[in-house]
Amino acid sequence: MEGSMTRREWMVKSLTALLALIYGIPALVMLVVPAFRRQKPPWVKVGNVNDFPAGEPKAVTLSYQRRDGWVIRTVRTTVYVAAKPDGSLKVLSNICTHASCAVRWERERKAFFCPCHAAYFDADGKVMQGPPPRPLPEYPHKVEGGLLYVQLENV
Amino acid sequence: MRKLLEWLERETGLVSAWARFWAQPLPAGVGWGHIFGALTLLTLVVLILTGGVLMFYYSPTPDQAYASVQYIEHYLPAGQFIRALHYWAARLIVPLLIIHILRVFFWGAYKRPRQMIWVTGVLLLLTVIGYGLTGYALPWDQKAYWGTVVRLKIAEGIPLIGAALATFLRGGEAVGAVTLMRFFVLHVFVLTVIVVILVAWHVLQVRRLGVTPPGVPVSHEGGVSMTQRLHPDHTLRIAVGATLFSVLLVALSLAFPAPLEPRANPMDTAYKPHPDFYVLWLHELVELFPSQVEFIGSFVLPAILVGILLIVPFIERNPERQPRKRVKALAVGTVLLILVVGLNVKGIRALPQPERLSPLERQGQQIFVELKCYSCHGINGGGGPVGPDLGHATERDPKAVRALLRDPTSHNAHTIMPAYQLPQETEDALVAYIVSIGPNSKMPPTPPTEPEKPASHFEENWFVNHKFEVRKDPASCNDCHKPFFCQACHQNRRPSSHDAQWLKFHFGNAAERPEMCASCHAPSYCDSCHRVMRHDTKWTQQHSQKLAQFGEKMKWAGQTMSQLCYHCHTPQSCQGCHTGALPASHKVANFLTDPQVGHGKVALKQGTASCNSCHQPKFCQSCHGLPMPHPEGWDSDHPKVGHKNPALCQKCHNFKDETCQTCHQAAPSSHTEDFRKEHPRRITDSGASCQVCHGRNACMDCHKVPMPHPKDFGESHAKLGAQRGWKGYSGVKRLQAATCANCHDMNYCNQCHQP
Repeated sequence: MEGSMTRREWMVKSLTALLALIYGIPALVMLVVPAFRRQKPPWVKVGNVNDFPAGEPKAVTLSYQRRDGWVIRTVRTTVYVAAKPDGSLKVLSNICTHASCAVRWERERKAFFCPCHAAYFDADGKVMQGPPPRPLPEYPHKVEGGLLYVQLENV
Repeated sequence: MRKLLEWLERETGLVSAWARFWAQPLPAGVGWGHIFGALTLLTLVVLILTGGVLMFYYSPTPDQAYASVQYIEHYLPAGQFIRALHYWAARLIVPLLIIHILRVFFWGAYKRPRQMIWVTGVLLLLTVIGYGLTGYALPWDQKAYWGTVVRLKIAEGIPLIGAALATFLRGGEAVGAVTLMRFFVLHVFVLTVIVVILVAWHVLQVRRLGVTPPGVPVSHEGGVSMTQRLHPDHTLRIAVGATLFSVLLVALSLAFPAPLEPRANPMDTAYKPHPDFYVLWLHELVELFPSQVEFIGSFVLPAILVGILLIVPFIERNPERQPRKRVKALAVGTVLLILVVGLNVKGIRALPQPERLSPLERQGQQIFVELKCYSCHGINGGGGPVGPDLGHATERDPKAVRALLRDPTSHNAHTIMPAYQLPQETEDALVAYIVSIGPNSKMPPTPPTEPEKPASHFEENWFVNHKFEVRKDPASCNDCHKPFFCQACHQNRRPSSHDAQWLKFHFGNAAERPEMCASCHAPSYCDSCHRVMRHDTKWTQQHSQKLAQFGEKMKWAGQTMSQLCYHCHTPQSCQGCHTGALPASHKVANFLTDPQVGHGKVALKQGTASCNSCHQPKFCQSCHGLPMPHPEGWDSDHPKVGHKNPALCQKCHNFKDETCQTCHQAAPSSHTEDFRKEHPRRITDSGASCQVCHGRNACMDCHKVPMPHPKDFGESHAKLGAQRGWKGYSGVKRLQAATCANCHDMNYCNQCHQP
């Protein structure tokens, strides 16, 4: 068939293909590419490193914007920042791994206490007592210019 | 591949039908003028394709529509290009359709038997206009919202059906969520179904009746020779035309992205929507008539025009197609065309002219943007809603503007606008620009805010309502706004909570939500009044002591502590704890003394923790002189205390009753058989230990005289008898018998007195 194609037919077919490409490629790109883009979880500012002296874990309430397509929501969450005497930091979730209640630091027992089923976690988040199956999740953190940032999404 | 096609042909016959369609013979005169129908179809296909892709990302709700269009524009690869293609194809399809219709009209191609092709064509034109009207509302920007409001208002003017039609389209009383969804469904579904049916009808009729041979009278069509085929003779023209058209379309889309105005703000009544250029003549038509009969321009005349268009093939029965043989029809058509074009030109002239700014004013415009004046002031819409819209300012006096910039309170004592002390040149430029702003000026492009403003900031009355959001979660404001952002406005206008009584009551707020204070005040702000004080629980317990220490340290001679407290507290606030508001338990009669409900019982039963919330632990000691309740080991310790100071015990315990005897049922071990004789020698503590059990007057009960004998007893014992009226020797004998004889016999007297 190709052999018998006239120059006109060939022109029409190639121009048609060109038009299909002009309109088709951007449309395909717009549909396909965004679906495969990976969004990096944002770094959320927690505060000045000096605000977290070694000793007791300190609760910080964070509020940041989470993007879901075109929907932007303000999310609030609480983390505990525990500073060790050697200067290293640990940022722990305040959500108990058993029934997702919020734990709180109990100064007297030097432990996180979950009021729902009387569980205790030590300052590193390890389970001391009670039903939780796992230690308190730890968030990745970084210190830049004296400021502490935490990555909350990928726990 | 070939086998598949053969199978398809066997089963459906589609392959040969496809081949027959493209092999359609065309008359000799068909040329470049005949490609516009195909180009319109191509544009329609582009619109449906791009529209379909946009639909994947568009959300037709007022709170998300604008955000989703922004998402398409800024976050999606090729998103801006696809939307621009949709935008420009929608604008170009109208002139293409009009060229196509004019070509058909002037060449007389609508004549019998092709009248229904013409009618479907006119219906397609109406559908495309419908697409434009509904698609206009979808981005939900200012133009979309206000344009829709204005058009529905115009539709309301149509007599009889207008109000019902507008209400149906709006889906209610006001333009809102329901309206947007209706316009969306009309745009992507209803009109698309209609357009597919009409296009199929239109094209299949052309296929059935053949393309009109140009210039040939209706009756002579049979004799026209078919010298070309649709493919590849005419398709080549279409392909070349389509490519050129696509180059134009792509170039326009790349050079001029589809505009997106600020998000729809139903409160911004300063905004004036301007219609698209190809419908300006309709708006001019509306303007021609006074508002009572506006419907003549908005409905009657366009309806008549559409009616004429629809019935053209039925009233114009002249079989000729040569233009010079149908002058009458062409004249009427030309006059109508000139009227429409003329009205449109008038409309374009009436559009606000773009501003021509002098270099100084242009510089001022830049300063306007740099100083972020737009965040409070709009220019004919846009901008923040805080200050007045500058497009409507009545005064254009450079002197007044300059004075206002330097000291806004000179103009309005209550203004919150900050004063601007600018360098002379900068001020000159800014004043020149502000003076040049008129009712046709436009807001200059402003830099995008980063991060994007959340949707809440576009809600109705955000400026009035923001305080509630701040109260809910001040931390979320601080995510974007720098500390003290509030003070940009609130420097003269304190939050409404800070009224005359605020100072007295702020402590509760400050204690519960310190972050609220921190959103405006620096952390050290409290200390500017309170120094280092913190009114926590410990403070309450120790305040009298602390105040005394503190006053001494600060050397506040002459200023009593109470005066210091009265900065915040009233004298009544002390009574809140100290008298008036006693706990209910303290209000029982005889709280202090009653053994059943009294304070001792309470303290013993509930422990002293609740007492300690107000009282210091030492509070008990201030009355009892002892740590109370009795500490551990008291059982063995109490004789010491009791012997030393029996009065302490007697405050609560009555010795004469069973108190001691509950434990001490038997006499103490010291009370041996000969204790009565021996006890004077055994008592070494002046009788205090005796009193523990026997009471204060234990000696007198037996001895009738104070025991042991007081120091001056040697002189005073003589008077004892006289006090009782016993005189003389017999008196002495009586006294001896009644009192002294308990210990002494008469020989004892003889040791001093010679008988």
